[in-house]
This record gives sequence, C-alpha cells and structure tokens, in this order.
Amino acid sequence: MKTTTKKTLEYLLTLFVIITLNFFIPRIMPGDPFTFVSSEENSVNTVYSDEEVARLKEYYGLDKPLAEQYGNYLKNTIKGDFGYSIYFNDTVLNLIGGRIVYTLPIALASLVLSCVLGCLLGCVSAYHRNRFFDRSSYLLITVFSQIPSFIIGIFFLFTFAGKLGWFPLSGAMTIFATYDTPLAQIRDILHHAFLPVLTLTLAHIGEFYLLSRNSMISVLSKDYITTAKAKGLAKKRVLYVHALKNAVLPIITRLCMSLGTILGGAVLIENVFNYPGLGTMMRQAITYRDYTLIQGIFLFFAVSVLLMNALADILYRKLDPRVAQ
Amino acid sequence: MKKVAKFFNKCSLGGKLSILFLIFLMLMAVFGTIFARHSAFIPSGSAFTAPNSEHFLGTDDLGIDLWAQLCEGAKLSLTIGICSALLSGIAGSFIGIICGYYGGVLDKIVMRISDILIAIPSLPLMIVMGVFFGAAIRNIILVLAIFSWTGPARIARSKVISLKEEKFIKIAESYGGGIFYLTFKHFLPAVFPIVMVSFIRLINRGIVSEASLSFLGLGDPTAKSWGLILNHAISFKAIYFTDFWKWWLVGPFAAITLTVLSIAILARDTEKFLNVKL
Repeated sequence: MKTTTKKTLEYLLTLFVIITLNFFIPRIMPGDPFTFVSSEENSVNTVYSDEEVARLKEYYGLDKPLAEQYGNYLKNTIKGDFGYSIYFNDTVLNLIGGRIVYTLPIALASLVLSCVLGCLLGCVSAYHRNRFFDRSSYLLITVFSQIPSFIIGIFFLFTFAGKLGWFPLSGAMTIFATYDTPLAQIRDILHHAFLPVLTLTLAHIGEFYLLSRNSMISVLSKDYITTAKAKGLAKKRVLYVHALKNAVLPIITRLCMSLGTILGGAVLIENVFNYPGLGTMMRQAITYRDYTLIQGIFLFFAVSVLLMNALADILYRKLDPRVAQ
Repeated sequence: MKKVAKFFNKCSLGGKLSILFLIFLMLMAVFGTIFARHSAFIPSGSAFTAPNSEHFLGTDDLGIDLWAQLCEGAKLSLTIGICSALLSGIAGSFIGIICGYYGGVLDKIVMRISDILIAIPSLPLMIVMGVFFGAAIRNIILVLAIFSWTGPARIARSKVISLKEEKFIKIAESYGGGIFYLTFKHFLPAVFPIVMVSFIRLINRGIVSEASLSFLGLGDPTAKSWGLILNHAISFKAIYFTDFWKWWLVGPFAAITLTVLSIAILARDTEKFLNVKL
C-alpha cells in the first residue's frame, strides 16, 4: 500500500512539472500569434493594428499578469479544458480528437506488429544462441535499429511510393473518392497506412527483439526448462509454452512504455508521409505559433506516456508474484 | 598513441571501416569547409546540374554546390553531436559521482528530477523547446544536454555507490582524502570507461535529434544541415518524377545513415574493448 501511494505521488509530481513546463515554454518562445506573416503560396496575410492586437490579447487573456494566467491555466487544465486554438478556430480537445483517429491506429498497429515479430525473432534467436541465425539476425537488427526512423521512412516513400508507385505518396485516404463497398474504403485506408506502419514497426522491432532475446536466454538456462526437455516434450512446446510464458513479463511492461516512444516517433513519420495525424498538426501549430494547440498536443503526449508508465507499473505488480508480495 | 593503435587492431572489420569513415568525415568537416571550391550558401552554377568535374555532387534547386553543403552539414552534425555528448557526459559524471558519494536528500532530489526527465517524451518536447530557445546551434546543444545527462549520471552513481564501500576508498578517506581527491584519483578513472561508451552513444543521439529537428524544419534555417537538405529535397514537388534525386537526395541520406551506423559500431567495439556491460 505504501509503495502505491508513493508511486501515485511521483506520477502526480511529474504531471505537475509537465503542466508547468507546458505553460511557460510557449510564453518564452520568440514570436507572437498575431504577427505571423507567411510567404507561402495560397495563404492570406492578416495585419492587425495595435488596437486590434490589444483587443485580441484581452479576449484571449494574454494581457493579464503571468501568475494569474498560470493559475487559470492550471485550473482549466485540471477541468479538462485545454483552450481554444487561435489558428484553427476550434477547441483544442476537438482538434486533437479529430486527428488522434489517424495517429492512434497506426501507432497501435505498429506497436502490436513490432512486439509480435520482435518477440518471435527474439525467441528463435535465443533458442539457437550463437548459431548462424542468431548471429546474423542480432547483427542485422542491432545495426538496423540505429538508423533514425524518418530516414527509413524517406527510403520507403521514395522507392515504394515514388519510384515503383505501389503506394500513395501522402494522405490517409484518396481525396474525393467514392467507394462502391465499405470493403473498398477499408482497402484504401489500409493502402495509405501501410508504409507509415511498416516504418514505425521496423523502427521499434529492435527493442522487442533484444528484450525478448535476453529474457529468453536467462529463462532457458533455468532448471525447469531442463526438466521439460528431459521429459521429452516437443521443442515447440518447451519454447512457446514453458519458456515464453515466463519470459513474457518484461515484454508486457515494455509494451506499455513503448506506446509513448511510438507516439513520439509517429510525429516524425507522419511528417514524412504527410499523414494527417497529430504530428503534422503539431508542425503546423508550431509554424503558426498557436500557443494553446502546441500546449494541448504536448500535454496529450505527456499524459499518455505517464498513463502508460503507470499501467506498466500496475501490470508488473499484478503479473509477477515475486514483486506482488 | 600505443593504446589507440591497440584499440584499432582489436576492432572488428566493421569497426575499422567505421573509424576510417569517421576520420574521413572529420576531414570533410574541417578541410572541406575551409578549402571549398564553391560556397555552400551562394549559387555557383545553374540549378540541378548533374555531378561533373566542376560540381562534384551536382547542385540543388538554387544552383548551390551539394558537396559544399554536405561538408557544412558534417561540421554541424559533428559539432552538435560531440558538444552535446561532452557536455552531458561531463556534467552527468560529476553529478552522478557527487550523488553516489554523498547520498541522502540531495541524491533523492536529483534522482527524482532525472525520473521526471526520463518520463517526459523527449522528441515532442524537443520540438517545442527548439522553437522556444530559437534555432541557433548553441541552443540545440543545450536542450540535448539537458535531456541526456541522466544516462551518464545514473551509470556513474551506481559505480560510485559500489566503489565507496571498497577498502582502498575507506583507507583514502581515513587519511583525510576529500571529495576532490577521491573523485580525481579514484572515482573518475573507474567511471571513465563505462561513461565513454555512453558518451559515444550520446553523440549518435545528438546527431539523430538534430537531423530530425531540422528535417521537420525546426533547425537553424540558414545553416546547412543534412536534415535540412533532405527536407528541401523531399518538399520539392517534382522530386519523384525527375532524376534530381540521384544526387540531391542520396548524398545527405547516405551521410546520415553511414555516420549513425559507424558510430554505433564504434560504440559496440569500444564496449568490447573496455570490457564493460551497460
């Protein structure tokens, strides 16, 4: 019980620090939401007079002293009100909600894929330790996982989408398309999501591979595995029933913690593939100095990471009888 | 010098190749920018010139020489990688040594801070901080260092905690050796090899983070970084339908990939050579 309260306090403290950081960072940023001038095509530049700027600042509460703004911000954030985006003209929660439907599926899909593939490879690798398969896959995966994900993404985008034309260059579905059947629509969406998911999966396969390989190696040296082998059980049964069951614990906790890093990686990957998720919106928000939206997106990322860490903690306690006692 | 030669001999083939590549990269960064035939900032030919004897790697959409830009990028990446790793490695080691040696409330506070730093998703915050600090190189290095010192600090701390129970440390203390004496005479030499490996990995982290930030268009827009060249090349609308990618995209792409891989292999070989396990 005592450790639970301590852990909860820790998470609350971290959350508080994040909210505080989140409040101050955009306010020290150079630039101002009302003086943005764009040189891009198709954009209209609005120039405000001093009176208008003053009126807008008063309307958005930006003229109040910093301490008062901070107090209001804390109160509103805890109430779940993340504010109103100045550039997109909508509430931040709505905007995030509109984009998360694109980001979360690709993040979750690549999380599951990289976990399953990485674990399988890791298991086989551990079973054939120091043999050719283990050595080559270990080398390949450790080296490959060093390459930054957006570089892999650019490579895929260029070869498979650009040169070969197998996949679309950008977007999450064909614009203005009409579908004959729901199945065609699903196919179109999967077609667009394939490359981002593949990139994210490859970027994260390494950590699961290494973790499951290490975990399996230590489990395989245990006495109960020798017993199982001595009983004459099939290799597959020993590997997937006896060993994997015991090696899976660190993998489950890592699965929770990885969602955070995958969401972070998705920011980059979405910008490579122009996928309309949170990452591309974050880039727009930064270009337009949209304080509230940047705050909202960052807070969303931070809170989801914290929740996942907490979940990992809880699961670990629940699943491992040695820690639970 | 002898030690360096011994290290080189002990390296795997990949390790030797990566050391040679990294030396080449450093020469590129130092001499490539000083003795450049063309400017990396001012157009020196017509746009989209294919590689020829005049323009070693061709030119981009503004007619700026790409080899000169790659050299500038090498300088930038190496500066950011090495400086941020040095800063966080040195700061982290000292913080770790002090926390491990004294323990108590100070240790608890510092470890709590590092817990918080680890829990915050670094890339989104770095994106936000990159804008908030401005895009100058110095600021990118600072932001990276703020996020990276926790690794070396934890390593140094746990090493010192186990070290301070050793008899020779107890004896040195009883003869009146203070924290400075102990740090420079005993702790640093013991901590150095394990922090070294983490230092090499941090260089990679710095280079990758800089490339990611500038790829998103958040780096210094006037500096010529590899990520920024990629960003320009990808956002050039006709890149997929023309042949320009052969020299415009491949150069920075290969530069980032090879650099990151070489440093990773170097880190692995150093780990083996110094016989440390992180």
